[in-house]
Amino acid sequence: MKITQGVFFTGYTTVKVKGKFPEFFFNRCSEKGIMLWDIKKIDEYTCQANIKLEDVSLLKQTRRNTDYKISFEKRMGLPFWLSSLLSKKPLVIGFLLGCMMIFLLSNMVWSIQIDGVTPEIEHKIEKNLDKYGVQFGAWKFNIDTPSMMQQKLLTDIPELLWIGITENGTTYHLQGIEKTIVEENIEKGAQHLIASKKGVIVDMFVEAGVPLVKVNDFVEEGDMLVSGLIGQEDKEEAVRAKGEIIAETWYKSQLSIPLSVNYNVLTGEKKNQYAINIAGFEVPIWGFGDPDYKKIHTETYNKPFYLFKWEIPLSLTTKKLWEKEEFEKARTKDEAVQAGIEQAKKELREKLHEDAEFISEKVLHSKKENGTVKLILYFKVQENIVKTQPITQGD
Amino acid sequence: MKTWQQRFGNWLAQHLDLPTDVILELPRITTIGQIHAYIENHKGLLQFSEHEIRLKLNQGQLRIKGKGFVLRMMLPEEILVEGTIEEVTFLQENS
Repeated sequence: MKITQGVFFTGYTTVKVKGKFPEFFFNRCSEKGIMLWDIKKIDEYTCQANIKLEDVSLLKQTRRNTDYKISFEKRMGLPFWLSSLLSKKPLVIGFLLGCMMIFLLSNMVWSIQIDGVTPEIEHKIEKNLDKYGVQFGAWKFNIDTPSMMQQKLLTDIPELLWIGITENGTTYHLQGIEKTIVEENIEKGAQHLIASKKGVIVDMFVEAGVPLVKVNDFVEEGDMLVSGLIGQEDKEEAVRAKGEIIAETWYKSQLSIPLSVNYNVLTGEKKNQYAINIAGFEVPIWGFGDPDYKKIHTETYNKPFYLFKWEIPLSLTTKKLWEKEEFEKARTKDEAVQAGIEQAKKELREKLHEDAEFISEKVLHSKKENGTVKLILYFKVQENIVKTQPITQGD
Repeated sequence: MKTWQQRFGNWLAQHLDLPTDVILELPRITTIGQIHAYIENHKGLLQFSEHEIRLKLNQGQLRIKGKGFVLRMMLPEEILVEGTIEEVTFLQENS
């Protein structure tokens, strides 16, 4: 029945009418526009019906100056239900308090489990975590995210090789792996030493094996430097050749350097803004208005809230606004070239072994073009070019 | 004696295929088996009990007899009766 749809929300009541021909009274009500439903005749002089809460006053008006007696039997629907609930204040307060407690307790750290490390390291980790504020009973929105903690722990405890932190509701689970000093594998296999790149040999130190090259020799990549086969031709013995061959090698790098550089410098002025994020909407709670900085560098952190172990669509957003200043610096061509050399060296350094040494650099070509300088640079480097090659027995 | 409006209405209903209940202001009674009777265009509830309902019409009355009647819904010109319907009778006005 469509007309009674939604009456639960507006509220309705059951009316009992007493008098002669009670249905006549309902007839009059319906003439006045009152909606009636579930009309029942109980006996000759009584009749009951349901009416909407909003029609009650009209019903009372209709009853005036008649001999009918009306009484309200049942009160149903949301309005009555709510008012009866509100009259039980202790219940409501208790319920709200309970909800709050669950919410607060869900956002606390209840246990920290550390696995996979010795008790000694475990103690260290615990001490460090304490320092970061991660301890039993700490608020979760005061502490860092697991990935940040991971990084901090790794830098603070050098003995740790890796640590994984998983946040499971109110429990933090840490899985660590300690660095173990593995003794270098002493391979007994026989080997040759060959060149890993081309270059001119400047220095050599051979521990074992027969050197096949001399200082000032030019070698190509793959050339044999030290042979692992020693002895006479018919009585050859394979040994493990060992040694260091330092050679001068060459690198060419191409890069373009802009003539003007932009620097961003933070002035140190900052402002924090806090907001509660409700399902995507941000409601600021502290730090209103944007500061009058010319340039702003913004860092945003988001801390979700939890109910039991589930994330709820509610989170605390912290915004850090830093004042930023931009500088533009123009460079001369020479300065740009110098900067280019530094940059190329840095890039090269990453590719080379740490023992490698830069001997000299040369600018082969430099050209000013559209505000940048195009450079082709040439570096001379001294490095160990040894690469091992196992001798397969049986040839 | 029928008024000229009624005659015109009759003519309209016959020749233009318009619904007679609208034009002639007659009640429309829809029953669903024995359990529901839906009466539109009535002119008021005269009597109601568990066994009998009497409605005023434009001309005469409508009497429905049966068992266990409940008015599921009552609006100014519509009534929905629920129960077991046994008999629907038109009563002419005894003038």
